[in-house]
Amino acid sequence: MTKLYWTLPLLMVSACIGDDLVYDEVEPEVRIMNPIDTIEINTTYQFEAVYLNNVGVEGDLSSYLWASSAQEIISIEQNGLATALKAGTALISVSGLDPGGKQLRDEKLVVVGNSTVVSSNMRTGSLRTTSSYLLKGDFSLEKISGGVKLSFNANYEASTALPGLYVYLTNNLNTIDNALEIGAVKVFKGAHSYDLNGVDLNQYSHVLYFCKPFRVKVGDGPFAN
Amino acid sequence: MEKQNLYNDLIRILSMNISKIASTLGLICFCFIQVFAGGDWPQPKGKGYFKVSQWWLIADQHYTDVGQIDPNLTSGIFNSSLYAEYGLSQRLTGVVYFPFFSRNYFNNQVSATTGEILKAGEAINSIGDTDISFRYALTKPGSSIALSAAILLGLPLGENKGGSENALQTGDGEFNQMLQLGLGKSFGTDKIGIYTKLSVGVNNRTNDFSDEFRYGAELGFGILNSKLWLVTRLTGVESFQNGKLASEVVNSSIFANNAEFTSIGFEANYYLTKKIGLSAGYATAFRGQIIYAAPSYSVGVFYDMK
Repeated sequence: MTKLYWTLPLLMVSACIGDDLVYDEVEPEVRIMNPIDTIEINTTYQFEAVYLNNVGVEGDLSSYLWASSAQEIISIEQNGLATALKAGTALISVSGLDPGGKQLRDEKLVVVGNSTVVSSNMRTGSLRTTSSYLLKGDFSLEKISGGVKLSFNANYEASTALPGLYVYLTNNLNTIDNALEIGAVKVFKGAHSYDLNGVDLNQYSHVLYFCKPFRVKVGDGPFAN
Repeated sequence: MEKQNLYNDLIRILSMNISKIASTLGLICFCFIQVFAGGDWPQPKGKGYFKVSQWWLIADQHYTDVGQIDPNLTSGIFNSSLYAEYGLSQRLTGVVYFPFFSRNYFNNQVSATTGEILKAGEAINSIGDTDISFRYALTKPGSSIALSAAILLGLPLGENKGGSENALQTGDGEFNQMLQLGLGKSFGTDKIGIYTKLSVGVNNRTNDFSDEFRYGAELGFGILNSKLWLVTRLTGVESFQNGKLASEVVNSSIFANNAEFTSIGFEANYYLTKKIGLSAGYATAFRGQIIYAAPSYSVGVFYDMK
């Protein structure tokens, strides 16, 4: 009987916090942050690139290697400064070796013309549910003064059954850690938008929806462009 | 005489059947206690039944609002409780369920890639929501068919929001009042006792929680000269969906709202002596909405005044 009397206290103290593993590995990448369609002849353009590691967090590479497929049309220095020399088209690339020894590369096709034309100031995408909770609708991310505007179209709809549904911008679909938390969802149907200061148009790859208190992924939406 | 003894044992074992389905859904974390104890047979005046028990549930998935199962951050709920029944008169029984130690926790979230803790686990410890109820025998005490009515008052003594996201709970933060009707029938032979009972109830909840319809059915067998009682139990909750939606609440403390489930449970109760015994139980929901999808377990020691 004595052993039995010890059973309850033992159970009471056994309620210890354990570990949940989050499988948060993503493909590391180098990304050109400010792509451009056309550079005016005889002018320069400063390209910028970032390195995103295997959990989608911005990190440092020891060096970036910039290259032009047609140096006679666009020449580029190793700090990313490009010079448009004559009319034509060149493939501008940036590459680097990540700490794991993996070669990473991003490239953009750039035209040399009579005037500079920036790439689209808008990115678009569609939400998809990755759970059994409702999430759908189209969205866009538009460059505005000082940041970006994330807009959801009239066909947007999200579940009202969750406490603490939050929306994020992220480079990692598996976790909200290191994601940009936009805020708690307050509109569950119809068009609405968020102004986000200090955010670059190409900084993130996805819109992400999580039930924050219980770490339940509800869905996401990749940018199509 | 044998039949009378069997009947007395039956009354006792019915008194032991504390049916606890305290389920939380993180998402929608809620705790409630269902007490079928004593069934529909009253405790004799001046007699009582007391039990100390531990109930727990650990869940890493839940039933969503459409009844599908989705994963969630692992949460554990542990209740150490005292349950007491006492015969106030030949027909009126007073019942108290008091979780004197209740713990709710979330696990750490750890990156499988880097090994870093992404979010440290959290826990709260407190007393839990407490139930006080009075059950009145509508049929004559000692009848093989028993009809009873009960009123249960759920006191919100637990914590309804804890942790960094206010998502940890040892109570739902609302005062509920439940009216129950129960019907029980005993039968069997001198060697094996059998009983069955049915119950229905309406739970009125405050603080914008939806009211609920609750139901239960139970079948029990007593063997080994009524030393061992085996019980199987079906329990269910249907929400009237007349409260606020989870998304309409500013903080996350209204997790218990609009949850529904049907569960099946099994329990064994064994008398070590004439008055002291052990019990062990298992229950799991086989359908649900906004509720954890994981089995619960319980163990306890009881004292039966007889």
